[in-house]
Amino acid sequence: MQLRLPPSLHYPITVTSLLKKEGDTVERDEAIFWYKYQTVVEEGDGMGGTAYVTRDFPTRFESPVDGTVEKWNIAKGDVIEEPTDIVLIEEPCAHEVQFGGMCAECGKDMTEATYNTEISETYRAPIQMTHDNTTLTVSAREATRVEEDAKRRLLGSRRLSLVVDLDQTIIHATVDPTVGEWMSDQDNPNFEALKDVRSFQLVDDTPGARGCWYYIKLRPGLEEFLENVSELYELHIYTMGTRAYAQSIADLIDPTRKLFGDRILSRDESGSLTAKNLQRLFPVDTSMVVIIDDRGDVWRWVANLIRVVPYDFFVGIGDINSSFLPKKQEIPTPRKPKAVMEKESAAEVPGSNGLAEKTGPSEEVSALEQLVTMGGGDDPRLLQEQTDAQEETIMHQVEDRPLLQKQKELDADEESSGESNDLSLSPDEGHDTTRPRHHLLVDYDTELYQLQDRLEEVHRRFFEEYDRLRASSLGTRVSALRGEKAASKDKDVDLRLVPDIKNIMPAYKSGVLGGVVIVFSGVIPLGQDLQNAEMSLWAKSFGAVIQKNINKRVTHLVAGRNRTAKVREATRWPNIKIVTTQWLNECLIKWKHLDEEPYLLQVHPNDRAEVLSPGSREMMEKSWPSSEDEALDGSEEEELSGEAAGLFESTPLSYDLDDQAAVHDELKEFLGSDDESESDTEVWSEDNPDSSRKRKRGEGNGTDEESGDDQDSELENEGSRLSQRIKRSYARTTGLKEVAIAENPSEETVETRFEEGSFPAPDDHDDGADVTDTGEGTPGAEAGQLEVPSDIVADESDVDDFEREMMAAFDEPDEPGSSQS
Amino acid sequence: MFFLKEETKIITMHPSYFGPNMREFLIARLNEEEEGRCTGDHFVICVMDMVDVGEGRVVPSNGCAEYTIKYRAIIWKPFRGETVDAIVTSVKPTGIFTLAGPLSVFIARKNIPSDIKWEPNTVPPQYTDHADQVIEKGTSLRLKILGVKPDVAAINAIGTIKEDYLGPL
Repeated sequence: MQLRLPPSLHYPITVTSLLKKEGDTVERDEAIFWYKYQTVVEEGDGMGGTAYVTRDFPTRFESPVDGTVEKWNIAKGDVIEEPTDIVLIEEPCAHEVQFGGMCAECGKDMTEATYNTEISETYRAPIQMTHDNTTLTVSAREATRVEEDAKRRLLGSRRLSLVVDLDQTIIHATVDPTVGEWMSDQDNPNFEALKDVRSFQLVDDTPGARGCWYYIKLRPGLEEFLENVSELYELHIYTMGTRAYAQSIADLIDPTRKLFGDRILSRDESGSLTAKNLQRLFPVDTSMVVIIDDRGDVWRWVANLIRVVPYDFFVGIGDINSSFLPKKQEIPTPRKPKAVMEKESAAEVPGSNGLAEKTGPSEEVSALEQLVTMGGGDDPRLLQEQTDAQEETIMHQVEDRPLLQKQKELDADEESSGESNDLSLSPDEGHDTTRPRHHLLVDYDTELYQLQDRLEEVHRRFFEEYDRLRASSLGTRVSALRGEKAASKDKDVDLRLVPDIKNIMPAYKSGVLGGVVIVFSGVIPLGQDLQNAEMSLWAKSFGAVIQKNINKRVTHLVAGRNRTAKVREATRWPNIKIVTTQWLNECLIKWKHLDEEPYLLQVHPNDRAEVLSPGSREMMEKSWPSSEDEALDGSEEEELSGEAAGLFESTPLSYDLDDQAAVHDELKEFLGSDDESESDTEVWSEDNPDSSRKRKRGEGNGTDEESGDDQDSELENEGSRLSQRIKRSYARTTGLKEVAIAENPSEETVETRFEEGSFPAPDDHDDGADVTDTGEGTPGAEAGQLEVPSDIVADESDVDDFEREMMAAFDEPDEPGSSQS
Repeated sequence: MFFLKEETKIITMHPSYFGPNMREFLIARLNEEEEGRCTGDHFVICVMDMVDVGEGRVVPSNGCAEYTIKYRAIIWKPFRGETVDAIVTSVKPTGIFTLAGPLSVFIARKNIPSDIKWEPNTVPPQYTDHADQVIEKGTSLRLKILGVKPDVAAINAIGTIKEDYLGPL
C-alpha cells in the first residue's frame, strides 16, 4: 500500500531521518521517520514579557499499516511542501474481502480505529456484491476479479446475464383471500382461469399480515420461457419483495434451482427500498447484463433495461410489493388482445377513449410527490410510513377483497345490461357476451413469447458483434504472430473485446421508431414534464423523438382522447398520422414499427380541417404560431381577463360585413379546433335551438353508432370531460363561460386554455380587423396573425352555421359599451 | 467453547399468572426468553436449572411482580482458533458461507486450499478439487475460526479450511 502524507500536517516539513530501511518490517503505529516543522510560538523572555519566535519542532511519523517497507520515495533532508506519496509498504493482507467488520482473510477487526487512523479500514472493501448477504463486502479489485471470472465463464458458454423482476413481470401475486375461495369453488366463473394459480403461506413477513396466503399466477408460458432463456442467459432475480417472499416464488417457478440457483436479491439486501441498482449485482461492469422489469423508473431507465408490459391478471391488485417504490405513472395498457379491442372499438367509436379514461386522474401522481418518494430513501420516518403503507396494502387486500367487489360489480353490470340488451356498450364485457356469467379474471397475456424473441435477438446481436470484433482482432494478430499462436489464443476469451449491451440494445431499439416524431395529445397529464414522463422515456428509448407542438417534422400524433386541439391541428398536415395510444403501446411492446392503419384515430368530421397545400404550409411555418404559443397567449389574455370576459358580453356589434367575414374565419380557426367550441356554440345558440340541434345530431350520426335522439345520453357516451363540461355549460344560461371555466384552470388542458383565452379576440377587430396589422400590443394581436393564411376557409355551409350562431351570440348582450381600443 | 454459566435475570410477571403454577410459568418464561439468545458475546444454548428464584416483589403502580432469578445455563462462546463443524449455507465466488449452529462463519477464497476450485457451472454451484472433495450447499465442513466479531444480536466469524484435517467431512 502506498502511504501518503495526510493533509493535516504542518507543511512544509523537513525529513530529518528515516527509521526503516527498505525490506524492514513495520508495525502499525510504529514510527517510520522523523521530520521537523517550523512554527511561530509565543515565548516568555524571562523578564515578564513575551516574544514571538520561530522554532523547529521534531516529530515522528507513524505508520498506519502493518507490512514491510518496499520503497521509500523520500530521503533524508527532503523538504515536503504538500501531501505526497512517501513510502510503499507491502501488507501481508490487503483486507480486500471483509465479513461483518472483519477481514475475511486474516480475521482482523476492521472497525478498530486509533488516533492514527486516517480512513477506516472498512473503506478498503466498500462493495457489496453477493446476492443474499449484506455483511460481506469486497474491494473494487476483488469485485473486478470476480466479475471477470464470471464474464469469462459466460462468454465461454456464450451466455449473458439476465436480471429478472418478479412482481407483474413474470408473475402476479395477490393476498386477496377471495382467490382461495374461488379456487375451491368449481362453479365459480373464475375457476377455469384460476386453475394454475399457486399459493403459499408466509409466516414471518409483515406483522400486520401474519401467516397470510399469497396467491401467485405465473405469466402464461413462463416455464417454457425460463427454460429457453436460461440457455442464453444466466438468470438473476431482483425483486422488491422480502427475502422470504422471493424464496417462495423461486421455489414455485424453479423448484430445482436449476435456473436461478441462489442468485436471488430481495429488498432485504437491496440497500435501497426505492430504486433498483444494477451496480448492486454487477459493481464493475454491466456490459453483459440485460434487465427485464415492468417498471422503468426504478432502474432510472438504464440502457440495459427491457421494459415489459405489466402482467395484470388479478384485476386491480397491482404490485403488492410496490409500496416502497415511487408511485407509478399510469400507462393505460390494454388487457385484451387486439382482436377483442378492435371489436370493441368498432362497436363504439371512443372505445380507446374509455379505456384510457378509466385509469383516470385519481391515479395520476404529481411529479413532486414522486420526487419526494424517490428522495426519501434514507429517512427512517418515511421508511416507517412506507412499511406501514405496505402493511396497509396487504391488510386492505385481505379485508376488502377487491376482486370479490369487482366480480360483484361485473355481475351487477351484466344483469342490468342483460335487461337493456345493450351489451356492446360496456368495454369490460364486450368480449364474451355468450357466457352465462362473466368471469373477472382472463388470461390473454402473450408478453413472454414476444419477450423471448426479443431476448434471443439481443443475444444474437451481442455475440455477432463479439465474434466480429474477435475475428478482426484475431486477424491482425494472426498476421503479426503467425498461425499456431493465434489458434491457442482462440480459446482465450478476450475481455477487452466484449461489446457493451448498453450500446447494442439501444442501437437495436432505436431502429424501431427511428425517424418517428411524436406529439402527444391527451396522453400525458398537463402538470408532468413531457420529456420525462414514463411514456416519453419509453418511446424515446426506441428512437422516437417527442415534441411538444405540431410542426412539419412531426410524423405521428398519439392521441389519448379524441377531439383535442392538437388532433384538429394535425388534420391539416397530410403527413401526420393520427393514431391512438394503443399504436404506440403495441409498437413498444412488439419492438416493431407497426402499420398505423388499424390504429388510426377516427377523427370527428367536424374536427377535420382542410389539408394544407404545400405552399400555404410554408406560410404557416413562418406566421402560424404553434399551439403552445397560442396557449400562452391565451392564458395571458385570461389574466387580463375578468375584464376580457366582461368585454365580450358588452361589446357593441358595430361590424360591417367584411369585418364579420374576417372575424368568422378567425373564430372558426379557434372554435372549430376543440371540444370547447362545441359546448360554447351550444350555449350561445340556445335562443336558436333548431340550428344547434341540427348540428348536434349531425355529429352524432357521424361518429357514434347509436344515434341517440336525446342529446344528453349521446354525450354521456363519450364519457369524457367533454361531456361534463358541456353539461356544466348547459346548466348555465348566461354568457359568462370564460369566467366559469377559469375557476379551476388547473383542470384544463393547454388546448382548452388557448380556446378560452381567444374568445375576446373578435373584439379586438372591431376597430378595423386589419389582419396584416400585427404590431398592436393588444392581446388579440397574435390572434390576428392567425388569419394570414386566409385561404384556409372551410366549406360554406359551416361558415353559414357559424354566422348564425355568432349572430345569436352577439345579439345576446344587451349592455353596450367597451373598455377596449 | 461451551461453559456452564450462572446468570441472573429479572422477570416481570403479570398478576394473572399469580397462583400455584407460578414456578412453572417462571421456568417457561425463562426458557423462552433466554434459550437461543445471543448476547453479542456468547450464545445461550440451554437453561439448566434455576438456582434461586428469590422473592417476588410487587411493583408499585401496576401490580406486576418482579422475580430476580439466578439460573445456570450452557453457553457457547466461540473463540479464535477454535475448531468447529459447520454446514454450508451458500457458496459464492468470493467464498463459502456456513453456519456452525447459531454462528455464521465465512470462509474466504484465500482460506480455501488452492486445489479446491470454484466451479460455477454445476447445479448447484460448488467448490471442488475434482476428486472426492465437493463443497456445495448442505455440505458439512470442519473449520477453524480465524476471527470473531460481535454484532448487535449476532456474532460473525471468519473461518479457514486451509489446514490439515479441515474441510468437508
